[in-house]
Amino acid sequence: MRLLKLFVPIFLSIILIVLDARFSYLDNFKRFTLTLLSPIYLVVDLPSQVIDWVNDKGSENELLVSQNDYLEGQLIELKAKLQTYNNLTLENQKLSNLLESSYLLPDHNVKLARIKSISQSRLSKKIIINKGLNDGVTLSDLIIGSDGVVGQVTEVTPMYSTVRLLSDPTQHMPVKNSRNGIRGITKGLASNDRGMILKYIPLESDIKLGDIFMTSGIGNSYPPGYSVGRVKSIDENLDPSFMTVYLEPTQNLNRLELVLIIEEKND
Amino acid sequence: MINQSQFILLLKITVLAFIVGAIALPSLIEMVSPFWLLLFFIYWLIYSDSNGIYSSAFVLGILLDVFQGGILGQNALALVISSAFILSVKKSFFVSNLTTQQVYVFIASLIYLIVFLITHISVQGLQIQWLVLFVPFTGAILWPVVRFLLAKLKQ
Repeated sequence: MRLLKLFVPIFLSIILIVLDARFSYLDNFKRFTLTLLSPIYLVVDLPSQVIDWVNDKGSENELLVSQNDYLEGQLIELKAKLQTYNNLTLENQKLSNLLESSYLLPDHNVKLARIKSISQSRLSKKIIINKGLNDGVTLSDLIIGSDGVVGQVTEVTPMYSTVRLLSDPTQHMPVKNSRNGIRGITKGLASNDRGMILKYIPLESDIKLGDIFMTSGIGNSYPPGYSVGRVKSIDENLDPSFMTVYLEPTQNLNRLELVLIIEEKND
Repeated sequence: MINQSQFILLLKITVLAFIVGAIALPSLIEMVSPFWLLLFFIYWLIYSDSNGIYSSAFVLGILLDVFQGGILGQNALALVISSAFILSVKKSFFVSNLTTQQVYVFIASLIYLIVFLITHISVQGLQIQWLVLFVPFTGAILWPVVRFLLAKLKQ
């Protein structure tokens, strides 16, 4: 009887592992349970919210005015840059039309979100953000920071979403070299805290240290044109036919507090 | 069946384990931090006289799997098997000194880690950081602290 009591949960666990690894029947159950558990994030985040509140209350008026001036300056600078960007976009679209290409720069909605928690599990690299289903976040939305891609939404609850980071070993992303358009698929590196790898690039390919890889948009899973990683090193000895490229994310996560959720406009 | 006071203690311990596990730590510390739910569950298992141990371990493991966004059943399987070991040495554990208890916790954490890694590798391939192998040591080292804090919680 005691053995039966032991083997039933073991057997059930194995069935669940197989079902979860191979099929997606349990996704609704997981989403529902995660929604029930999401108040735990609220409790974990409480101390930092209190600290933020105390900091806000303690900030001197003079400091706030100077910060405001600085941010206004930044806004003007970014608006000026945006004008150039808009011109370039129009020019790009004209050139695409001239070349009879179907490629057009996509139009996206963006939402601001705050990071609540980083990495809950030792074998996966994830963050929790404070926007969920109630804010229109959907599965597979791309998450970016000011310097590049952060990751992709993998789970959504009404108030929170889980984002799998680019450097997670199970995260793959189609990219292209911003300098010459060489394509590949990045994969996170488990052995490296902040690294990604790009495999099966032909040996004669023109890739240099410092090259920036961006989302290519192939497969329509991710919007194109966002910086993913910078070439850190190139290994031509691992495989006789291909080179292996190591990338470091352009977005540094260490001091990241706010992120943007990118979703395509459905007009 | 689990009686009411044991159930309340289990509930408290579970919530606490989830909160402690969700606190963001520097990646190095995160990697070697113990299996909190296992440590907390060992305490409950040793100081309770309940019957539904394996089913409780299974349910808590499933909740942890969902919370961590991992493979469903991975933590459940590891927790059930580790609980079976602790249950087999329960009488000895209860009367042992702290150092012997730490050895038992180390073995239970090692069993948990092995089961956890086997399921991880079989589903996602050999994608692990080797620092994770230190987890049983940190579990054993932190056991006295966990035991002390949970004893306060139990009172």
